[in-house]
Amino acid sequence: MNVMARLNSGTMYLICGGIIAFVAAVCVIFALRAWRAGKAIGMDTSVMLKVIRSSASFSVLPAVAILLGVIALSGALGVPWPWLRLSVIGALHYETQVAHGAAEQVGIELAGEAMTARAFSTIALLMSACIMWGMVLNLFFNKKYSSTLRRRGESKGPSFGDTAMTAMFIGLVSAYIGSYIGSLISGHARFDLAGDPVPLLCAAAAAVGMMIFTRLSKVKGLKWLEDFSLALAMLAGMAAAILFRILFPAAGSGAEAAAESARLMLGGVTL
Amino acid sequence: MTMKDPYESYTKKTHLIGRIATLITLCLLLGAPFVIGAYLGAMPDLGAAARGFISVGLVWTVSSVVEFLVYLPMLGSGGGYLAMITGNLINMKIPCAVNSRDLAGVKAGTKENEIVSTLSIAVSSLVTVLVLAAGVLLLQPLLPVLESPVLRPAFDQVVPALFGAMAFKYYRGHLKLALWPLLLMSALFILVPSLKSQTSIMILPSGALAILLAWFGWKKERAAG
Repeated sequence: MNVMARLNSGTMYLICGGIIAFVAAVCVIFALRAWRAGKAIGMDTSVMLKVIRSSASFSVLPAVAILLGVIALSGALGVPWPWLRLSVIGALHYETQVAHGAAEQVGIELAGEAMTARAFSTIALLMSACIMWGMVLNLFFNKKYSSTLRRRGESKGPSFGDTAMTAMFIGLVSAYIGSYIGSLISGHARFDLAGDPVPLLCAAAAAVGMMIFTRLSKVKGLKWLEDFSLALAMLAGMAAAILFRILFPAAGSGAEAAAESARLMLGGVTL
Repeated sequence: MTMKDPYESYTKKTHLIGRIATLITLCLLLGAPFVIGAYLGAMPDLGAAARGFISVGLVWTVSSVVEFLVYLPMLGSGGGYLAMITGNLINMKIPCAVNSRDLAGVKAGTKENEIVSTLSIAVSSLVTVLVLAAGVLLLQPLLPVLESPVLRPAFDQVVPALFGAMAFKYYRGHLKLALWPLLLMSALFILVPSLKSQTSIMILPSGALAILLAWFGWKKERAAG
């Protein structure tokens, strides 16, 4: 059996699936404990159900995009390992970057036919080690840090904490929207106006979608829309992206992108 | 004798379970390459891994410290443990937790926010695990759909769609606050096009400016009574 066949073998599914099952069990435990604690402190169960509905509906679309990351990496690393990496701790943008850097260090291209057993186990170790620091910090500092934050949140006087969190999130959103504006105006060089307009247009379409669904959810009888407005607005933005891409075909889109995806699936190209 | 506060006991156990789960996950993730290495008949090259860590890992180490300090207040303690274990923070867990906080109408740093955030991240992680498991199971029949050149642009634009929808929600009530970070970020990305590969780092100056402006606004409101 060659390396790629072994990377896609039942044993690999068992090892990776076992770890994913453990993490899923941890999530179930945390969810059940939070539900019970919420009831114990007198939270309205309908509010908690609303949170569950909204979180579940919102997560489906980003999860499908993450699945595409699994597919992109599967050509070089098999299916089970990227499945594990993107289900546990991994991040879509991180995995391809680190996998590529790790492949360089072991002196191969990140491609199916170039993969050796030693290269794979080294790449796998590096992918795990580089991103583990959030968990290490949680081990040692989560308790102290969150107790400090809680004390501030529950202090009798007016607290800036809630406003600060909203401001931080506005900063986060602004960084991304700013990057879409910058990418459009300075695509490859400063002020070349040759950038890709699709991300900005897609964001605008999703914003319009959000406005429509927020307004509709205020209408009597359509209150249920509130829980799904974010997911539906994202869907509207993504659907609009299909149209925008037809109007503004980017280099490497269409047939070229399809061919690129096919090559990735066959593991014949460096990521 | 005083009655034990159920929330205090919940918090204590959350840290205990969170730490144990984190430790086990760390061992599993770092142990898996060696188990797989034994199965494949070739252990990891530790020298190459160390060199690789210096070249690509250090950046992510710094980024992890920043993520921990900035995102833990948004995630809460239970949500923090779960989010760090399950990953995909910016493109999924943070927006999910913030959106849930808004829907539930709870404030950051409160007991209710801790519950809402944990519930939201646990559900989001479970949905991701389920979607990925179903996707892997049905990979062959799904492949033509997911890789279709027609649908591909939609999946390529999940993050812009997410932040576009969130921008409407958060800019609407805080236009003045959003204006300067948006202008600053747009100007920086226009003047330094190479920054677009560092968007996640640019969240820091953007967030810092937004917090600074919010602080001045908050002080002004308090002074005005």
